[in-house]
Amino acid sequence: MVENIVFGIGITALAGALAAVAGAAEDTESDIGSQGDPNSQVQLAPQMGFIHRIFNKAVAGEPPAYGLWCALGAGLAWIFLIKDINPILALILGATIATFVQGVYATSGYLGRTASLAKFGQPVYIDILKSMLSVTMAHAFVAIFTTVAMCYLMNAVLGHPFPLPILGLIWGIALGAAGSATGNPFYGKERQYQNQKFGAGVPISASGNIVRYAEAGQRNSLDNGWFSAKLGGPASGICFGLIVFLELWRTILFEHIAAGWGAIIVGLAVILVFVVIDRWVEVYARKNYGPYTVAEEASS
Amino acid sequence: MTAQITVTEGGIPHNTLMIYGLISSLVGIYLTYLNTVTGTQLFSFFGGLGAVAALIWGSSTIKRLCSYGIGTGVPSAGMLAFGSGVIAMLLATKFGIASPIVALVLGLVIGAILGYIANNILAMKIPVMIQSIAELAAVGALVMIGFTAMTTGSFTFSPLSVIPVTVLGATVNSFGTSLIGGGLLAAIFMLGSIALQHGFNACLGPSEKQDRTLMLTAEVGFLSMLMVAIFSFAFIGVGAMIVSVLISAIGWYYTYAQYITLSKRDAAAWLDSKPIVEAEGH
Repeated sequence: MVENIVFGIGITALAGALAAVAGAAEDTESDIGSQGDPNSQVQLAPQMGFIHRIFNKAVAGEPPAYGLWCALGAGLAWIFLIKDINPILALILGATIATFVQGVYATSGYLGRTASLAKFGQPVYIDILKSMLSVTMAHAFVAIFTTVAMCYLMNAVLGHPFPLPILGLIWGIALGAAGSATGNPFYGKERQYQNQKFGAGVPISASGNIVRYAEAGQRNSLDNGWFSAKLGGPASGICFGLIVFLELWRTILFEHIAAGWGAIIVGLAVILVFVVIDRWVEVYARKNYGPYTVAEEASS
Repeated sequence: MTAQITVTEGGIPHNTLMIYGLISSLVGIYLTYLNTVTGTQLFSFFGGLGAVAALIWGSSTIKRLCSYGIGTGVPSAGMLAFGSGVIAMLLATKFGIASPIVALVLGLVIGAILGYIANNILAMKIPVMIQSIAELAAVGALVMIGFTAMTTGSFTFSPLSVIPVTVLGATVNSFGTSLIGGGLLAAIFMLGSIALQHGFNACLGPSEKQDRTLMLTAEVGFLSMLMVAIFSFAFIGVGAMIVSVLISAIGWYYTYAQYITLSKRDAAAWLDSKPIVEAEGH
């Protein structure tokens, strides 16, 4: 019994670590493609006359997109496992093929969105496609492989009742949501608007006026990837790692208490603790930074 | 302020596309029945072709629906289509040979109910809402039944949920290794729903062209079909799987090359390693 719990906690820690890597890679990948929340301004910029060299990889929002990549990676791994292929190889093959699909979607998204902006003179920069694509695919591979490996651990080692593809879908959506909610504001709310007053939101008059020039030369999405790897990525990694770790931790330790209700009560307690922490951080930040003192009329 | 969605006029009328998509999809899915007639699995790929036809029809529906200023919520239309379609599809598989038709009808009914709720109870007041959601649910059901037929060679419930497995010399029925029991339908769900919304979502903008949008939908449809062909590795013979992989790969390569050509045609300029071309007045 105790050995089982110790073993379970070990797997929980390993799954949490994999999830932290997945979160960091996911946010960096999506920011290089301006996916999710930053996308609307990248899309809008040429319409306001700001031609840019930023990769605009429009493939749904991050949660559905990662739902697909991870469900696909897990589904393929499941097929290979059924055919008695070594689990490590099955996971790697699944993640590799899913990354290929991600790459194809990324190219078609960039070409489609950019060609549809022809009226505003936004050209297709084919070198952007060539140089960003390999970088997003590499990050996507890391994110998909770690997530599918984590799902495999839950299913095969911890005995989760859901089959691998469904776990892939659920955790893929969770991964995309974590990266979208935690990591994107660094890029979408601040880095795109470094030329505006800090914390001012995006005034209507500044819509589409994203930063297009870099420390040296013209900014492209590799600069954004570098920035995301430093701030947004690790934040998303901590977020997703904590989600996975706490979720498994409460199940492993408390599911035998009160016929499973123990795990649910601990889950509610964890949510309450985080609500208190979040509120405290928000109030602290408003008091100490930015011009949030009065509601500004020109914020969107 | 978010990006405005505008829809360009022209091209093939939506109703024509709908009729072509509907008929080719049903014919494609029914052609997988040749497997049962001839006793082989070589004709499984027809299910995937039927699914691609349905996706093209659905892409045109999404374009029509989203032209009413649904904003950037295009991907949600794909999710809605498949979320309502999966109910219709699973129920329809119990009807044997009539499954694809039942899936279509049930999809239309469920979609019409959802469309009514969205339009009249949630008061979204979009003229084409009920028809579009009904079409989308039917597309979702047809795509899933087409892809499952391609994966397992059959579109009836028993082969989708029970697989005979030999354990220690005895044959037992396994639920866990079947398409539904193994949860592979979740992967098919996502492959279809993202492919359905990607065509219009990726090509929206003032210079959107119908042929390019639909070519992109066909491209991602064939890409999903290629993945489904790999899924069929666990369910049908290697020979039939290779036929499926080859046909999907050829379809995907052709449509991808065509899509890049069309993008080159429509783009303002096609530049390699050039600096920002400043628009006038900036």
